[in-house]
This record gives sequence, C-alpha cells and structure tokens, in this order.
Amino acid sequence: MSDQQPYHDMLDDVALYALGTLPAADAQRVRDHMATCAECRAEYAALAPAAALVGVSAETEGDLKNCPSALLKPRIMREIRASAATSSALRTSSRAPVWPAYLVAAACFAIAIITSLYNVTLSSQLRDVQNKLAASTTRSSQLASNLADERSTISEIMSSESKHFTGSDGEVVTHGEKLYVAMHDLPLPPKGKVYQAWTLAKGAKDMAPSVTFVPDSRGVAIVSLPVDARLTNTVAVSVEPEGGSKAPTSKPVLVVPLN
Amino acid sequence: MTEDAGVLMERVRARNADAFEALYDAHHRLVYGVALRMLGDAPGAEDVTQAVFVKVWTSPELFRGGNFGAWIVRVTRNRALDVLRSRATRNEGELPEGLPETEGIEEAAFARIDAQLVRSALAELPGEQREPIELGFFNGITHEEIARRSGIPLGTVKTRIRSGLRKLRSVLDQAVTA
Repeated sequence: MSDQQPYHDMLDDVALYALGTLPAADAQRVRDHMATCAECRAEYAALAPAAALVGVSAETEGDLKNCPSALLKPRIMREIRASAATSSALRTSSRAPVWPAYLVAAACFAIAIITSLYNVTLSSQLRDVQNKLAASTTRSSQLASNLADERSTISEIMSSESKHFTGSDGEVVTHGEKLYVAMHDLPLPPKGKVYQAWTLAKGAKDMAPSVTFVPDSRGVAIVSLPVDARLTNTVAVSVEPEGGSKAPTSKPVLVVPLN
Repeated sequence: MTEDAGVLMERVRARNADAFEALYDAHHRLVYGVALRMLGDAPGAEDVTQAVFVKVWTSPELFRGGNFGAWIVRVTRNRALDVLRSRATRNEGELPEGLPETEGIEEAAFARIDAQLVRSALAELPGEQREPIELGFFNGITHEEIARRSGIPLGTVKTRIRSGLRKLRSVLDQAVTA
C-alpha cells in the first residue's frame, strides 16, 4: 500500500482501518495518508460510526446461558472497592501527621504499577507482560501473589500503627515484626554498584548483610528487609558492588537506630 | 446512555466505586458478549471482562468522551485480540483506545443504537460482505487469510468489507431516522 496506489484501494484500506482490522504498520500508513487527504478523511468519517457498532451486535441477551457467572461481579467489585479503600487511605494519610510526601507519591506510584499489571493493560509497554499472563495461569497466580504482597507492604507502611524512624534522605518503618526502608532523592548508584541494606541485631556487634536494591527513576526505593524488626537495633544502607557484600565496603548513606 | 455513562465516568475518575458498579451493570453484557464471541469460551470471556472493567477503573482517563459503548468495545476487542494472539497467529489489527473522538464520528443518534438493531442491520448485508466484516472483527483473522479461505482475491475482500460498512451505515441511518 502506498500513496501512489489507485485511489479506490486506499479507500478500501480506510474502511479496514475504521473497522480496526489493519495490521499496525498499515494502520499508521492510513493515518498518515488521511492527514493529507480530505477524501479519505471523509470516507473514514462516514464509515467509522457504523464500524464502531459492529462489536455492539455481540452484546448478550439476558438469558443465563450467555451471561457471565454470578461470581464475576463480586470478584471485580472486591478488586475495585479494595482499590477505592486504598485511595481513600492515601487521602486520609495526607492529613495525618508525619507522612512524607515522597512516600505517599511512591505508594501511589507503586499502586499504579501493581494495578496496571493486574489489569493487564493493552499498552505497548506492558504487552509482553500481558501475553505472558494470558499464556500462563501459573504466572498469573504468581503475579496475583506479588500483588497481594505489594499491597500488604503499602498498607503496612501507611498504617497508623507503623513506627517511623527518620534518617537523611529516608526513613525506616516498622510494623510489628515487619521492617522496611523507604528512601527518597537517592541518586542511581555508579555502574556496577547497588545499594545494600544492613541490619544490626540487638546484642550483635557486626552488621549483617541484607537485600540489595536500586532506586526508581525518581530516586525512590521502598524495600522490605527479611528480619524481625523487634529484634533489630539499627538499619543502614551503603553502596556496594553488584551482588552485594558480606561487610560494608563504603561509608553508609543511611544509618538509623531503632529506638 | 452516552450521557449517563459520561457522568458515571466522571465519578469513576473521582474513585467512586458505586458509579463503577453502575457502569458495570449497564455494560457487562456488552463486554462479555464481545469477548465470548471472539474467544468462544466462557472462562476466557470472563477473564477479559474482568480485565476490561479493572482497566476502566484504573485508567478512566483513556475514555475521552463520546460513545462509551463503542469505546469499551474497542478496549474489549483489543484485550481479546491479545488473548487470541497468545493462542495462535492472528490479525495484528488494533483499535486505538486513547484517541479523542474526531468530529462527526460519534453521533448522538448512533450512540443510542442497541445490539438488536445492529444485529438486524448486519443481517441485511449480503453474506459476502457480512462474513469478512465479522471474521475480521470478531475472529481477528487477517484479510489475507479470509481471502485464502474464501478463494477470492485480497482486493475483493477489502472492497466487500468497505461496501458492507457503507451499507451498514446506510441501514443504520434509516433506522435512526425512522
């Protein structure tokens, strides 16, 4: 297909474009052509309303055989109301004392990512994830599990029962036995380096290595540390080689005593 | 229907779950119907229905006014096409979801057309026009494949689809002005 082809052929492609059945590359050519061709724009305007209704013909009637199961709506509404409750909690937390704006923003960002994954959006950026989800129920289950974990993390960090210990460019948050490091304005580590968390158990003399991480593009990182917060005395973060170190090799960028 | 859906979507943007539920009640049979027609199996159609409505909730800004029913059909079809692609090689055609509706495309009269009327209008098309439209739209089959199956040239398939859409437009015009 090209702009030099006979005109009726291009008009046929405009019809296919209106119906949404052209491959992406051909669809782009039609869009480009229509930008400069009034006749094809008019053809599109004439056909698009009818083409848009072709799908409407598939609406099911009220009989049970052609309707989704009765469990579908409760399943979806649980998801939506949980999300609405989280949004409400975010708004409420903004009125509560000591909630740093960066952490609220990070939570919103994380929720957006999580819900996007669960939603399996059609955006090109997530198409690979989407295809994998469609192809693998195992993978879907894993994502759903991750979703629950992430939501749990956000919920616990934002809980009024959590304790916040502030350090430079970040803070440590405890929620019962759970322990989180939340950092902001964190520059990307040098090439070949990562950030690594360290924990000092009560009564211990040496820092124990914990998880490694890198911040997102906005310099925010929220990580869960796999130790019991009730048995931990201090949390630190330093820059270490990829893969982590057994002992800190650089000056910590964050040291937060938990007392 | 359009105006109501538009108002409901405004409330969905404000994270109102009750508004979302009302949208679901009004449109779930359409979403499920499109998915079921395309995928041919109820569990797959339910998964698509859930994905579509969660997307309505998480990305309400993608709906930029106009005919909500037509928009949600586009979202549903694209999602179902992804499922079909994961099952086999299918048409890459995709309907843009985030584009603003252009002038003259979303006509109020067409927004009130229901499924039965569209089915009746499609039934008035000659089979040689209706079949390639439905195969391409619902089955995600490429035009080349339609041509191969039917044993007619590709150009003829395209022309029949265009002629079919023009006739469909004509029949619907008569229906809404009757």
